[in-house]
Amino acid sequence: MRNLMALTWRLLRGGGRRGLLGSSLTVAAVAVSTTLLIFAVAVNFAFAGRAGREAWRSPVPAGGTARAIEAVQADLVRGRLVTVVHVAVLVPGIAPPPGLTRLPGPGEVAMSPALAAIANLPELVGRFPRTVAGTVGDAGLIHPGELVAVVGHAPADPVMSGRGTAGHRPGAPATRVAGFEGATTPDAGAYSALAAVASVFMVVPLLVFGGAAARLTVARRDRRLASLRLVGATPGQVVVMTVAEAVITAFGGAVLGLVLYAAASPPLTRVEIAGGPWFVADLWPGVLPLAAVLLAVPLLVGVSAVAGLRRIVVSPLGVAKRETPPAMRFVRVTGLLVALALVPTLGFGARVGVVVAVLGLAFLSLNLVGPWVVALVGRVTVRAARGPASLLAGRRLVDDPRSAWRTVSGVALTGFVAGFVGLLAPSSSLSAQDDVVASWLLRDIRTGTLIVLVVSFLVAIVSAGITAASSVLDRRQTYALLRLAGTPLEVLDRARRLETLVPLTVMGGGSILTGAICATPFAKVGVSSTGAITLLVCVVAGFAGVVGAGALSRPLLRSVATDPAPRPD
Amino acid sequence: MSSHNVLEGRGLKKSFGPTVALAGVDLTIHRGEAVAIMGPSGSGKSTLLHCLAGIMKPDSGEVHLLGQRVDTLGERGRSVLRRTRFGFVFQFGQLLPELPADENVALPLMLGDHSRARAVREARSWFGPLGLAGMEGRRPGELSGGQAQRVAIARALVTRPAVVFADEPTGALDQATGHDTMRLLVEATKHNDASLVVVTHDPHVAGWCDRVVEVRDGLMLTGRPHAASPSPHTASAHAVSPHAVSPHAEAGGR
Repeated sequence: MRNLMALTWRLLRGGGRRGLLGSSLTVAAVAVSTTLLIFAVAVNFAFAGRAGREAWRSPVPAGGTARAIEAVQADLVRGRLVTVVHVAVLVPGIAPPPGLTRLPGPGEVAMSPALAAIANLPELVGRFPRTVAGTVGDAGLIHPGELVAVVGHAPADPVMSGRGTAGHRPGAPATRVAGFEGATTPDAGAYSALAAVASVFMVVPLLVFGGAAARLTVARRDRRLASLRLVGATPGQVVVMTVAEAVITAFGGAVLGLVLYAAASPPLTRVEIAGGPWFVADLWPGVLPLAAVLLAVPLLVGVSAVAGLRRIVVSPLGVAKRETPPAMRFVRVTGLLVALALVPTLGFGARVGVVVAVLGLAFLSLNLVGPWVVALVGRVTVRAARGPASLLAGRRLVDDPRSAWRTVSGVALTGFVAGFVGLLAPSSSLSAQDDVVASWLLRDIRTGTLIVLVVSFLVAIVSAGITAASSVLDRRQTYALLRLAGTPLEVLDRARRLETLVPLTVMGGGSILTGAICATPFAKVGVSSTGAITLLVCVVAGFAGVVGAGALSRPLLRSVATDPAPRPD
Repeated sequence: MSSHNVLEGRGLKKSFGPTVALAGVDLTIHRGEAVAIMGPSGSGKSTLLHCLAGIMKPDSGEVHLLGQRVDTLGERGRSVLRRTRFGFVFQFGQLLPELPADENVALPLMLGDHSRARAVREARSWFGPLGLAGMEGRRPGELSGGQAQRVAIARALVTRPAVVFADEPTGALDQATGHDTMRLLVEATKHNDASLVVVTHDPHVAGWCDRVVEVRDGLMLTGRPHAASPSPHTASAHAVSPHAVSPHAEAGGR
């Protein structure tokens, strides 16, 4: 075992410059995946954190002895929401809410730092008692800029008897409570559910991408591992070596991804959701979830590597002998049809869990159908091909539809998201003037959608770039020999471009349509022009990004193809 | 320069940094002639092939194809030259794995001005004479090593080149298959009035050629005719060409 590890390490380090390039591609792919995966996980923790910090302002009627009275009032000052919590202590000794060291007594007030900073505004002067008894700390605030005041009262004050509370959404009538633990507000619950949906949208393309990253390693090692198998390495040894190599590489990538995330998180905290930015700590889900991601990523990559290795392990000659792949079966399509048939039955009132499950199902079916459609697209391309470039592109698509699917899957799945939210995106005219929280929710759905789209496009673009580079590396010998025989590099380049563009056009369009169909039952608000424009911009940016990322590997193609004396390595 | 000469290298020199690969080599390839370039590893034999075939530019010296100087051409011009006037057979790995055999052979024609249908028809006509009947739709992974090399030979000849360059064409084959492949390569090139330049370190392979030149330390040692009868193998040449009726007339008409 130790010898095996030493050999793996030596093979990894001794791979030469191109081997190193291949390994760095894997590391880069895993790093980006990890960064985005941490983000997708952190989003859920961030909203859960907000919900927890906000809970004390959602009073729960006391079951037994009431120890305090709590009322919550909200109103707007210069377009910003001010939340005022009125409290009256009935039984002394009750623990204060989070963020407060002690409850303000009658005639006292505690303010959040942001509120204290603007307390001298004419609109606010005279609204609160003069005696400032403390500060509402971060632990009791939704976001750093939140304006919160806790005003102390005597139990007999009129505000404590239920009269005078305003009708704003975050408000709550005077309630006799046993403590300040509170409960998750409905708004916080809605945000958490939306965050979960957004995570599904981000994680599925990430998994496809992660699998591609793992197979990248295996593809490069195919020949070498087959030789090891030929000289008598047992299947077990080959599996251990490959998995060890993939896992070592992936772990390096995962750690790099964590660093990337640390670098990216400060600007992310400035994204305003529900009226304010984020605490830095919100974007750090804690040691345990981070450790879980850092362990899960190499593990998933390892599993993916094993799956990619099956062919080699089954037969030492399996890799050297390339055979016509069996045609993809139509069965794959039926899964998608079933998922699509389920969607209209959901309606508007379906529970969040069900919606997430059906969306996930539709997503996974798209993933199954993807390679089948790519192969179909490839056969049509081959039949229609007149020139060498389109013939090459079409044959490549038929030969390995899964690889082509991995390249375009990001944008194809993003197309699904874009089609889905393109119709859903609420137009600003719908935002209710009198319900500031409802208008936030509508605006935040759009913000969240944009973030998910940006994430998906990042995945798609990075994946396209890496897949293009690795396909050049995989075929470097043939490309070099073809160039020696006088094949112009432009033909090979055009073939590579077509190989991505053709399925992208067909499948990107197809998935946008699928997403739009899925959105129909939810699209009660109608089609918004802003949404349509967002969709268009994203499609154009996605195409440009993927084509650009593919073009980045052109120098690589040039360098491998101009190797004067190519030898297999 | 005689019209008998197809390819002529004069005073070819080439260095890679401090390493001298060619130290001034003169080599003339005659029409229809099969020449083996032999020499140990690092002797410069591959560099010689690369300079003659327009893959590399020599540092000094000249290369003439049918009386025209070709070493001064730019990268694009040399690419076109390689695609249209030369054919190449390498050790292995030259066939695109995703294309069926017939389309691999048709590729150089499609890169020219041939329509796809015509290129494929032309390509398929080579399969029977090369003993590949029925293999048209197979992909390189489904061919044996010898069959793959015969497909490569068809691809090298399909453009009816003036010279076919072969770099260790049997290096990846067993001896018996290597013999068959060399016989087909020599016969097919001769039958199509093309010259053949083979780089090899295998005397058996060289034995199939009319002439053997040896390269050592960047210099040519000998230009001796082959020890055996001039070309025992070509005497038995049967029609290794799709146009068995009059291949010479057609090839000569270029």
